[in-house]
Amino acid sequence: MIRNELSMEIEHPPCKLACPILTDVREYVQLIAERRFEEASAAIRKKNPLPRVCGRICTHPCETACKRGQADEPIAIAALKRFACDGHWKEKYKAVLSKASTGHKVAVIGSGPAGLAAAHDLALLGHHVTIFEALPVLGGMLRVGVPEYRLPKSVLDEEIQAIVDLGIEVKTGIRIGKEIKLSNLFEQGYKAVFVAMGAHKDRKLDIAGEDEFEGVVSAVSFLCRVNLGEKFEVGKKVAVIGGGNTAIDSARCLLRLGAENVHIVYRRSREEMPAAQEEIEEAIHEGIQLSYLTAPLEILGQDGKVSSLRCIANELGEPDASGRRSPKPVPGSEFILDVDMVIAAIGQSPDSSLVADEVELTERRKRIIVDGPYTLVTTQPGVFAGGDAVTGPATVVEAISAGKRAAVSIDSYLKGESLPAIEPADAVETAKLSSSLVERTRTFARCKTISLPVGDRIKGFDEVESVLSEDLAAKEAVRCLHCYLGATVDKEKCVSCLTCVRVCPLGVPTTSKMGEITIDPFACQACGMCAIECPVRAIDISLNPGADIAREIESAMDKSRHQQPVIVGFFDLHGNFGSRDVERLRKDYPNIVPVMVFGLRRIDTSDILRAFECGADGVCLAWCPPDNDPFPEAKDRIKRRMAYAGALLEALGMGGGRVDICDMPEKGLVEKELIDGLMRRIEEAGQARQG
Amino acid sequence: MITLEQKKFEEIEKMTNGYSRLLVVGCETCAAMSFAGGQRQVAELASAIRIARKTSGDKGEVLENAIARQCEPEFIDMIQDEVAESPAILSLACGAGVQMLAERFPDKVILPGCNTTFLGVTEELGVWSERCAGCGNCILDKTAGLCPIARCSKQLLNGPCGGSMNGKCEISKEVDCVWQLIIDRLSGLNRLEMLEEIFPVKDWSPAGHGGPRKMVREDLKS
Repeated sequence: MIRNELSMEIEHPPCKLACPILTDVREYVQLIAERRFEEASAAIRKKNPLPRVCGRICTHPCETACKRGQADEPIAIAALKRFACDGHWKEKYKAVLSKASTGHKVAVIGSGPAGLAAAHDLALLGHHVTIFEALPVLGGMLRVGVPEYRLPKSVLDEEIQAIVDLGIEVKTGIRIGKEIKLSNLFEQGYKAVFVAMGAHKDRKLDIAGEDEFEGVVSAVSFLCRVNLGEKFEVGKKVAVIGGGNTAIDSARCLLRLGAENVHIVYRRSREEMPAAQEEIEEAIHEGIQLSYLTAPLEILGQDGKVSSLRCIANELGEPDASGRRSPKPVPGSEFILDVDMVIAAIGQSPDSSLVADEVELTERRKRIIVDGPYTLVTTQPGVFAGGDAVTGPATVVEAISAGKRAAVSIDSYLKGESLPAIEPADAVETAKLSSSLVERTRTFARCKTISLPVGDRIKGFDEVESVLSEDLAAKEAVRCLHCYLGATVDKEKCVSCLTCVRVCPLGVPTTSKMGEITIDPFACQACGMCAIECPVRAIDISLNPGADIAREIESAMDKSRHQQPVIVGFFDLHGNFGSRDVERLRKDYPNIVPVMVFGLRRIDTSDILRAFECGADGVCLAWCPPDNDPFPEAKDRIKRRMAYAGALLEALGMGGGRVDICDMPEKGLVEKELIDGLMRRIEEAGQARQG
Repeated sequence: MITLEQKKFEEIEKMTNGYSRLLVVGCETCAAMSFAGGQRQVAELASAIRIARKTSGDKGEVLENAIARQCEPEFIDMIQDEVAESPAILSLACGAGVQMLAERFPDKVILPGCNTTFLGVTEELGVWSERCAGCGNCILDKTAGLCPIARCSKQLLNGPCGGSMNGKCEISKEVDCVWQLIIDRLSGLNRLEMLEEIFPVKDWSPAGHGGPRKMVREDLKS
């Protein structure tokens, strides 16, 4: 994790801390909730050059860390990222090449996620980047390792093109160590090199028969050929050996290429399987059989072709160095699996022999040695390395992270500055919520993405998961519990009246014997009840703060003075509506000035009065449907607050009927009858006043 | 705490009418805790006055401010610049605070935005009730911790009277007969015999009947 970038002054949400590139997940999830999709996309892109890739295949450690996961299920962050970056607004984002050219040439070896990320960031910093790629196409493992049904090539093409368009030169078909040496690059004027060659060499099974029969294939070469569109005859009954994502990818591809029976043979149990849970589930769903606790002993053949696989059952013993329990064969449990093809997917390593004479490699596994996870400096001056070539097979976001770190490091190196200090960071565990808080947190089902039916999936390589609709994405985004965006108490102003302690629906604020109020910033869900009720305004909510709401009312009113009667409409973002509904509202009711809020709990009597002060003729508060409201128990209190505002308007001689509280329809923002009713009452109130 | 309630808007509007500049000043202790004069109520009230002025064509400005306590001279001095620019001040403090402002600013019109109600407790959010009348001579040791001066409608010292019915006072079914409560509590404590002691006629001079009260601590004063 890159800790150097983090300000320690503020608390960061667990989703951000869990992300290797520290993506501000909370920020874009909030923008999606506010139906500000284009801004959400821009927020993601400023950090991540491959968000549409990550939205599909990231292992999303952010979701594992998500606080919502303690109450029900985590926010579907990856699906939201995909939604934000797949939408029709995606073309509008343009990366800003902010700096003038530095004149420095930098070579990037490999065009996988690490190389692409480094090239992207280096280009933005003003360096001249050239990517050297061994294959005829760019993308590295994203291109040749990840199957089309998980990551369509068209998506990858667009992502890569946007990076190349930053002015990056591309040289394909050039393998480092073969066509060109690292030293040649420096001779050609490159001032720094980033080696991100990936790990494309499959480890061997080391069992009898492996090199003897036709039909034994390495997973990397299998996936590569499939991904490059080569015609490929697959067996009818295939065993895939291994338990990682490569094994699952191979198995699911086999099914799509016509294999009738695909068996994943894995030596430990499902719990230890390194593949992503959802990938395992999808594989099972598609009909792939998983044989856990099974180890291959020998590949048997007939007439030079694979005919079967001799296996043995395992049991789990003591944990090994990786912390996982090591498998031990059960004597006498051998059996034969009838197969005509075997795919070996037990791990990959970098083809580091290509650079072995120029940079130092580790003893074991032959990975490129770097002096630290942040600087990524190799033993050769000016040569940096990262991604799978350094770490062994890892995730796409870890590779992007390495690329970004390399860019920072190379930039410092080229400027002659000292390299960023290494700051080892401990993994941060998400704090545990108290059981009473979990009980009081209203649960909302996580969105379900629509996926192709199995029958259609295995006919080809169409993408399995579809993108979320606007409505679903917004609904998913409002599930966010807004870690660290909740209430903060200004101790200077607080008079210990205990109102916050009394109104909080979650019981978060506590008081000391002397009246000092503490509000746990992680536990608070930013409902806003305390902030609105606090008589001395000592509390504010960081998630659209009171001053922002007031400012929004003023600026919205400023723009719409010509429309009569002017109605300020406060709309709850928890409603079921998309950006089109907002557009339609503006079109159908040009006299309604919409102000979007995270719950009507956030609206103070003085906000309503402010609207009138700014010239509004009426105020409409639109409540989300009850099924969507995270704090339904607050509704009664809010209604009474609004009645108080109505009474004040009555006392002002304006007519209390000018404030209306209504329920939003199941779909959309407002119902016509309600608005018509309010307009009628405003008119009546106006006439009564004149009369 | 001292409890307060804001005056009706119509009354406030009338008394504040016509001043070219009005400063609404909140009091952030008792008045705030009574939800009558904290910064939030100041903002609401100022906003309402502005709307009223706008509709009636009154161009006078309405400003907002608040201090921790209007009963302390040091806090009051902190707003003297704003006060200097306003001919009239609407104080959202108790009567003590309003008078303190009047004393500090002899050339300004000082107006009360609240009614001071009683010395009481918060039963729950939004519900307050009287507990003490400030009589200057506490007898709670003899009445099981329940005050007949503040809580008996007749302020009887040797109650209850004949109007106590089913534990309620004859003035309203909503009002508990404090003497019934005293008896119940003493029974519970097994101290009912305490009621055999007859209270003599009460000296009301410490309660203010001997003229305005003042307290001086020689050891503290400068």
